[in-house]
Amino acid sequence: MELQHRPLPLQPKRSRLTLPLAGERVAAGFPSPADDYVDVGIDLNEQLIRNPTSTFFLHVSGESMTDAGIHDGDLLVVDRSIDPRPGQVVVAVLDGAFTLKRLMRHRGRLRLEAAHPDYPPLELHRCGEVQIWGVAIHVIHPL
Amino acid sequence: MPQATALIDGNNFYASCEQSLDPALIGHPVVVLSNNDGCIVARSAEARALGIRMGTPYFKARRELERHNVVVRSSNYALYADMSQRMMSLLEAHCEELEVYSIDEAFGRIRRPRNGDLQGWARQLRARARQNLGLPIAIGLGASKAQAKLANRLAKQAPDHAGMFDLGQCDNPDRWLETIAIEDVWGIGRQLAHWCRLRGISNARHLRDMPSGELRAKCGVVGLRLQRELRGHACLPLELAPAPKQETCVSRSFSRPITSQEELHQAIATYVVRAAEKLRKQRQRAAALTIYTRTSPFAPGFYSQAASTQLDLPSNDTAVLLQAARPLVARIFRPHRQLAKAGVLMQHLQSHDILQTHLMVPMSEEQQQKRECLMQTIDRINRRYGRGTLQWAGCGLQPSWLMRREQLSRAATTRLQDLPVVKA
Repeated sequence: MELQHRPLPLQPKRSRLTLPLAGERVAAGFPSPADDYVDVGIDLNEQLIRNPTSTFFLHVSGESMTDAGIHDGDLLVVDRSIDPRPGQVVVAVLDGAFTLKRLMRHRGRLRLEAAHPDYPPLELHRCGEVQIWGVAIHVIHPL
Repeated sequence: MPQATALIDGNNFYASCEQSLDPALIGHPVVVLSNNDGCIVARSAEARALGIRMGTPYFKARRELERHNVVVRSSNYALYADMSQRMMSLLEAHCEELEVYSIDEAFGRIRRPRNGDLQGWARQLRARARQNLGLPIAIGLGASKAQAKLANRLAKQAPDHAGMFDLGQCDNPDRWLETIAIEDVWGIGRQLAHWCRLRGISNARHLRDMPSGELRAKCGVVGLRLQRELRGHACLPLELAPAPKQETCVSRSFSRPITSQEELHQAIATYVVRAAEKLRKQRQRAAALTIYTRTSPFAPGFYSQAASTQLDLPSNDTAVLLQAARPLVARIFRPHRQLAKAGVLMQHLQSHDILQTHLMVPMSEEQQQKRECLMQTIDRINRRYGRGTLQWAGCGLQPSWLMRREQLSRAATTRLQDLPVVKA
């Protein structure tokens, strides 16, 4: 039987990991002076996702972006609502597959650069049709 | 300036969702099949251009699809539901009010700017949906829901409308209304269209301008309201909160015909379990339930049969509903019939919160609460670890009649294991 898996919580409302920032539990019956300072906690979804409707997760495969801190097997957070600008790490559609590179301007022309000495840059005007699918905003890397 | 009503929908929604998350499909012809890989229910623009027809049974179209190298996908509801939610929240941010009308369409209310022109608004919304979600959408604008619906059709009709059309701001709206056949007007069924045609009412403009008395005599206030909507009076409000459901149905075709009673038992049990889950999610209880089965309508000797029962006490407890449904199976089963489909209907639904006290309640209140906790726990485990993690034995262990979804794509936005891969 096909085993179905746990859905990935995307919207902050669905899963909330709260780590209290300040305040302590006190004996019941007495108002704590710290209560005023208790924060709602840190929600990683809120930290990593600005725009839930346009944010997608992708798995990374390959070594070409290791110098940018993106490794094989990492989880990539991509926001499609961001307009791509030079300097950003982008997910491009190249020959029917997703490719992860840094968008750069070089001598007045846009190109996709790897973050690894073994991978040459791709000049955008030389590759037929390239579409920038989204802009990577975070990478989740296990240590 | 007055408010405008928009009908916004996703073009070829299912096919567009498939293309949005799979880079190999961008610019490639794609079709999506209905449940059980039966018929073509969505075609990408590229597949449309090849002349592939909507609703064609897969087995008939298969050769042609292969010849054109068309990618075929089974319906991936997990993906479509997630993309639908994303699209709706994008639309919500761009409208003052939004009524989600179906998985891929919504009515919105927007205030017209001083010069009345909503082209810029529509253009921006289309660009956002395209960029943020990879989904093409069409926007129809008018003074009422009926006008918005017609405008949406006009938005898609001509390529130079670029996916938007405003009946409130176009030159000569009458000419455009005349291009819409009476059969294509929202709310006009086949019989009514026929009645109109006999009276020379053949398009939307004719309907709008026909004598109201005649229309009222034929179809009462409903017809009158439609005509007023076409004339630009907003009579139908937006339904911002969906009305509570009166019935809940779970039905599926089998992957192969069923001929044994035991298998029909399993199928009915499976659908009852699903329907009970739905009831609990909707916070409702059923007071009656009906089960039915039928053979294929295309095979000779069509057979169909239904059986119903009342529950002593309205319930959404899976065990209670299974117990009620089980004796009904023998009443609808006939040997030597090639059963193709079965279904379960939960009826006379009432709110979960109305705990009806009944003299003959078989359980104490404490017992009832325990049962509720048990159901909640089962639902939570199945939500967290996947449907079917905890299963009712009556559903069978590895049923071979389960719906066929052979070309299913991945749950690319909702399941960690299924996320798309990006090459670095």
